[in-house]
Amino acid sequence: MEEGFIDYQKVLDNEEHAIKSTQSVIQKAVDWFRSKSMFVLAYGTGCGAIEMPPTFTSRYDIERIGVVGVATPRQADILIVSGYCSYKTLKRVIRSYEQMNEPKYVIALGSCTINGGMYWDSYNTIKKLEDYIPVDMYVNGCMPRPEALIEGFVKLQANIKDAKREAGYIKYRENNAFYKTNQKKIFGDNIEPTYEANFVGMNQ
Amino acid sequence: MIENKENRVIKIFHGPQHPGITGNMSVELDLVGETIQKARTHVGYLHRGFEKLVERRTIIQAFTIVCRICVPEPDPNEENFARAIEGLAGIEISQRAKYIRVMVLEMARIGAQMLWMGGQSGSVGLGTVAQWSIYDRDLILDLFEELTGGRVYHMYIYPGGVRRELPDGFLDRLEQFLDYLEERLPKYDNIFFDNSTFKKRAIGVGVINQDEALKYGYVGQALRGCGIKRDVRKDNPYLVYDELDFDIPTFDGGDVYARALVRRQEIRESIKILRQVIKQMPTEGDIMQKIPKHRKFKIPKDDILVSSESARGEYNYYMAGDGSEKIRRMQVKGPSLIHGFTLLENMLKGEELSNVAMIMNSLGICPPEIER
Amino acid sequence: MIDSLAKHYEIEKKAERLFKIRIDQNELLRTINFIGSSSNFMTLSQITCADWIEDEVFTLNYILTTEQRNKNLMIALDIPRDKSKLPTILHLFPQAEVMERDLHEMYGIDFIGNATLYDFALENWKEIPPLRREFDTLAYVNEQFEFRAGREDNKDVKAETKRRRAEAKKLKAKMEAKK
Repeated sequence: MEEGFIDYQKVLDNEEHAIKSTQSVIQKAVDWFRSKSMFVLAYGTGCGAIEMPPTFTSRYDIERIGVVGVATPRQADILIVSGYCSYKTLKRVIRSYEQMNEPKYVIALGSCTINGGMYWDSYNTIKKLEDYIPVDMYVNGCMPRPEALIEGFVKLQANIKDAKREAGYIKYRENNAFYKTNQKKIFGDNIEPTYEANFVGMNQ
Repeated sequence: MIENKENRVIKIFHGPQHPGITGNMSVELDLVGETIQKARTHVGYLHRGFEKLVERRTIIQAFTIVCRICVPEPDPNEENFARAIEGLAGIEISQRAKYIRVMVLEMARIGAQMLWMGGQSGSVGLGTVAQWSIYDRDLILDLFEELTGGRVYHMYIYPGGVRRELPDGFLDRLEQFLDYLEERLPKYDNIFFDNSTFKKRAIGVGVINQDEALKYGYVGQALRGCGIKRDVRKDNPYLVYDELDFDIPTFDGGDVYARALVRRQEIRESIKILRQVIKQMPTEGDIMQKIPKHRKFKIPKDDILVSSESARGEYNYYMAGDGSEKIRRMQVKGPSLIHGFTLLENMLKGEELSNVAMIMNSLGICPPEIER
Repeated sequence: MIDSLAKHYEIEKKAERLFKIRIDQNELLRTINFIGSSSNFMTLSQITCADWIEDEVFTLNYILTTEQRNKNLMIALDIPRDKSKLPTILHLFPQAEVMERDLHEMYGIDFIGNATLYDFALENWKEIPPLRREFDTLAYVNEQFEFRAGREDNKDVKAETKRRRAEAKKLKAKMEAKK
């Protein structure tokens, strides 16, 4: 493998960059169990949230492969970033991602997370999601059909079960400086969400 | 209200990451116990700067992004945009194109009401209704896919008419779908509208003050749930709504239950309109007028205001041209701008924390149209 | 009602139910008070603003609508682009609070008397108000973000189309010559 950071697109597309599996028997069993029960955080961050109700209800029914929605980041395994991210949303997404417990994965839904999409010249949206949080699976389209989202989940299941790709959370832990530099570049020093401009104190 | 409030007030964010919020927005609540003392809305999580993006694009480039302003129901946006450009440039469209546009708008309206039903029932705890109504909405999306090529974003209504002719047998399939839906509607009554759990939670909650409703600019179901009959399709008609026969349902009470009953009746009115459109649609006429090409389509230096009725209320577009091929200014005002701020912050005072999701769903607050 | 207003203002009829009057910026409060009390236009529907940088003005339109919601009246006024300020109409129409907040953030217009002019859609925004014409959004994007590198077989669209059209023409000329 090359040194430093290589282009994600090549990693995710190219089979020869897959990691040789070094799982023990117990680790294989644990990974198999993990891949069959993926809990998704209930957060509709953008346009793609309109194709999530059809996927999660009776017509396309993603619960048959083990995917269920939950309310808090402490219970979730997967964060679906459904579409473009504005500055304000990205701060909350980073905060939710950091509150999730490992192992955790990110699915980037829609073409806006890949290279900006049709808001490529907008002053308030970010262009490449993987500069800020690590992405494990891209599902492109505008909107992706529910079948495409199910295919994304199935491929992610295969990746988890056979440990074919280095998981995003390990990258985030080990290369934290890279991500934090990128985040600081657009947010300044306060990466935490601020409500100071219109924060109403208790006595008002 | 409680006297000694210090050390008893807690502040929570009914925030963007929450299963009970309609879209990506947050409401900052000050609570004493479980009663809300003060509420403040925060938006801006979905701000993409549409009005700046449209200023850099010609009409055919702008028309592809305009439909993404309102995510659950994109068609009123396309139709308003097309009608504003036609009003500025002086283009008259054919009768057949007008009927096709009415058909698309009413199908989108039924789809949006189905989506509302899923959200409102989920906020009360009745999970089965969402499974049924999102399935029925998917059958409408199948029809849209056959007609326009896309399930959610259609990009079908363009200044000058519509872009494609109807496929063969489309009107028959639409009629079959309407028969199927009318058969299903009594089952929704059994499970949702006549459900004693929903009635106990919804009656008397989220009441709108009727005397202020008209002056403060409320629109849509917020007025019709108070007994005030206002609808842009009857008061300020556009397209062919003055040739069609339909009613505007109103119910008294001004609470969540009255607004739910108004929406239930509107689904039936939309089915009535669609049946008339299928019968009365003219079989001859151009679907698209001759308009100048891409870079030669100049908009005169003038401004105009168009309004239409979406599933949630009155939707306004203000557009100004400056003589070139790019639009100088396009300002969008959806129904949720006033409902999300002026109405919601007043209504939530004194309410319980567990009713916030139900109230927001009944007002139909859609954040992308607030902040574009 | 429109006829009674026509005695005081010059009304332009833009469409069947859409009217427009032009006033000076100092007469705003007086006009809105007068129209709101003496005619049926009792609700504020929208406040819009357009930037005419070549004439160095912002043109605002206060759009009022009737109680029956069947007519719209646009009250147009011009204000200068630098240090623009206007009195607020919050005491007449509470819905103007959020509309004025939106315009303050996007254009930098100061509404005197409105205490709620904080952030609406942007957070920690340090540049000039974004909807002004001098704000170049593409330059800002190129400075802040980096796009993905293109694929190796990426070709320029215009050059490629020209080349293909020239080849098709040559082929057609050859077929004609053969006949």
